[in-house]
Amino acid sequence: MPDFGLSEEQRSLQELARKFARTEMAPRAAECDRLGRFPEEVMRKAWELGLMNLNIPTEYGGSGLGLVDQCVIVEELAHACAGMTTSVIANCLALEPILLGGTPEQKQSVLTPFCSSYHLASFCLTEPGGGSDAGALQTRATRDGDHYVLDGEKCFITNGPHASLYTVFATTDPELRHKSICAFYLPRDTEGVTVGREEEKMGHRASSTSTVRFEKARIPVANRLGAEGDGFSIAMRTLDQTRTPIGALATGIAQAALDHASAYALKRHTFGKPISEHQAIQIKLANMAQDVHASRLLTWNAAWEIDHGRKGTLESSIAKCFASDAAMRVADEAIQVFGGYGYMKEYPVEKLLRDAKLAQIYEGSNEIQRIVIARELLRRYA
Amino acid sequence: MEIVVAVKPVPEAETRLRPDASHASLDPEGVKFVLAGYDESAVEQALLLKESTVGSRVRVLSFGPAPRTEEVLRAAVALGCDSATWVEHPSDLLPDAVLSARCIATAIAGPFSGLVLCGRQSGDEEGGIFAGALGALLKVPSLGYATNLRWKEPRGQLTLQRSIEGGLEEVESSLPLVVGLQQAWNDPRTAKLPNILKSRKAAIEKIPWEATVATLGPHAIPGTVRRTFRLPPPRTGAKMIRYDSPQDAAAQLVRLLREEAKVFP
Ligand SMILES: Cc1cc2nc3c(=O)[nH]c(=O)nc-3n(C[C@H](O)[C@H](O)[C@H](O)COP(=O)(O)OP(=O)(O)OC[C@H]3O[C@@H](n4cnc5c(N)ncnc54)[C@H](O)[C@@H]3O)c2cc1C
Repeated sequence: MPDFGLSEEQRSLQELARKFARTEMAPRAAECDRLGRFPEEVMRKAWELGLMNLNIPTEYGGSGLGLVDQCVIVEELAHACAGMTTSVIANCLALEPILLGGTPEQKQSVLTPFCSSYHLASFCLTEPGGGSDAGALQTRATRDGDHYVLDGEKCFITNGPHASLYTVFATTDPELRHKSICAFYLPRDTEGVTVGREEEKMGHRASSTSTVRFEKARIPVANRLGAEGDGFSIAMRTLDQTRTPIGALATGIAQAALDHASAYALKRHTFGKPISEHQAIQIKLANMAQDVHASRLLTWNAAWEIDHGRKGTLESSIAKCFASDAAMRVADEAIQVFGGYGYMKEYPVEKLLRDAKLAQIYEGSNEIQRIVIARELLRRYA
Repeated sequence: MEIVVAVKPVPEAETRLRPDASHASLDPEGVKFVLAGYDESAVEQALLLKESTVGSRVRVLSFGPAPRTEEVLRAAVALGCDSATWVEHPSDLLPDAVLSARCIATAIAGPFSGLVLCGRQSGDEEGGIFAGALGALLKVPSLGYATNLRWKEPRGQLTLQRSIEGGLEEVESSLPLVVGLQQAWNDPRTAKLPNILKSRKAAIEKIPWEATVATLGPHAIPGTVRRTFRLPPPRTGAKMIRYDSPQDAAAQLVRLLREEAKVFP
C-alpha cells in the first residue's frame, strides 16, 4: 500500500509552490481575472524557479519530477489562480509528445535549447470541428519530398499567442481516421502559421487561449514524432500523463473554496452567532471537506500508480473526473456560504466556480472520462 | 573569504503557537520552523558577498534540536550555502543566547579569520545578544543593525551601513568580524526547484551534543532558566471609526486619541 504522507522532499516542493502562489500569483489573480491579462512576469518567474517544465528530465534542463511531485505543486499553484496554473503547466502538456515519441536526437535538439531559457509551447490537438473525437481531426499533412505541408486550424489552444513552439496533430488521410494521424513539432515562426486573437473566456482569464492556423506551413520530415500514424497514440498517451495534474488543479480550486468559506463562516454573524455555528453551514463545510480530501487522495493515488510504471488509465480518469466535479460542487457551496457577497466579484469565490468549470471540459471532457472509466470497469467483468 | 552564517529555526509567523505541558516552552507539534527575516537577510548577504568575491565559500551553522534544525539548514543550502553544520542539542534543553553563542563558537573552532553573519536578533526571542556574545567569545569585533556589506578587495576591508538613532553611519572594518544583520532590506532570494532537490541530498555535518558538552564542560548549562511561557492576552477593544470624509475620520481619530486613549492632551 502507498504511504499517504509526503516525503520531506515533496514537502519542500510544496512549500516552494505555496510561497510562489502566495507571493507572486495570488496578489495578481483578481486583476488578471478582471482584465483577462496574461501575466508574463509570473510565467517568467515560474520558469526561473523551475516550476514550469516539471515533467522534462533534468538532462534536458527540466525539473524531472514524477507525477505525485507534480500534483503536489499544481495543487498549490491552483489554490492561488487556476488560470495562471493552466498556463504554467501547458509546457508539460505540449512537450510530453516529444518525450513520448521523440528520438534521443529530437529530444536533445528541441528540449535542451527550449528549456535553457524562458519559452512557452502549445499542444495543438482540438479543432473547431471537434475536440472529443480526436480521431476525426481534419488538419491535413501532405507529404512533399522531405517535408510535410500542413493545412488546417486548431482552436482553444492554451498559450497559443505566447508560444514559440507548437506540437501539432494532423492527418495524412482523414478517411483512415486514427490510423493516419501524425504528430509534429514546429517553431511558431514557420511560414504559414498564424495565431488568432485571444478568446474572451468565462474563467481561467489569466490564461491565454487562441486559434492557431496552418496555411501551407512546411515542416521537415525530421520534425515528425514517431512513424506516420503514431500521432493518435502519442496524443492519447500524452493525455494519460497530464490528466492527473488536472485533478490536482481542481483539488487546489476546491481547497481554496473550502478555506475561504471556513474563514468567512467563523466571522459572519446572523441571529446572534457566527454562521459556522448553524448546523446547515457546518454540514456544507463537512461535505466540502470530504470532496476536497477525496479529490486529493484520488489524484495522488492515480499519480502514484503511474509513477510506479502502471498505465493508470482508470485511476487518472476517476481522479480528473471526480476532482473537477467536486471542485464545481465545492465552489458552488462556498458561494452559498458567502451569501450575497459570494456573488460579488469583490470576493474571491465566484471566480473559483468559473475556473472550476473548465476542469470538467478540457483534457478530455468528463463525459469522455466516464466512457473511459466504464470501458475499463466493464473490461474487468467481461 | 571565509563566510559563516549562523541561523536559528523559529516558528513561521503564521503558525498558531501554544505552550507545551511544562508551560515553560512552545509546543512544537504542528509548528513549521523556518529562517526568520533577520536570518534570511543574513543568508542573502552572505550569498551576495560570495557572488562578488572570488574564492569565497559560505558555511551555514545552526544550534538546535531535531528535526527543525536540519530543515532550516537544508533550506539555507538550497538558497546557495556551500556547506552546513548542525550543532545538535536535546529537545528538552532551553538554551539562552549566551549558551547558543558558546556552542556556535565551539563549532567555528580554530583560529578564525573570516566573517560571521547572523540576524541582529533572533526571530522568536528577539534578544539581540547573540552577535555580541559570539564576538566576545571569538575575541573579534562585533557590530549589529547592519545592512549593505561590501568587500573592498585591494585593502581587504569590509564596509557596512548601520542605522542608528536619527541617522545612518558607514563603518569600515578588517576581518575577522561578527555582524548582526537588519531585516527586510535586501529582498532575500527564493530557492529554485532543482536546488531544493539537491539540498535534500546534501551532506550535513552534525556535531553531537555530547561532543559539545565535552568541549564546554560546565559552560554547557544555560546560565538563565525560563520558568514559564505564556501567550499574550487576546487583544480587545478595537474601535471602528465610521466617517463621511477623510477630514471627518481624522477629526474623530484625534478626538479619540485625546479623550479616550489620552495619548496627548
Ligand atoms: C480554455 C480552454 C483551453 C484549452 N486548451 C487546449 C489546448 O491547449 N490544446 C488543445 O488541443 N485543446 C485545448 N482545449 C480544448 C478542449 O480539450 C476541448 O474543448 C475538449 O476536449 C472538448 O472538445 P469540444 O470543445 O470540441 O467539445 P465536443 O467534442 O464537441 O463535445 C461537446 C459535448 O459533447 C460531449 N460529448 C462528445 N462526445 C461524446 C460522447 N461520445 N458521449 C457523450 N458525450 C460526448 C462532450 O463531453 C461535450 O459535453 C481547451 C479548451 C478550453 C475551453
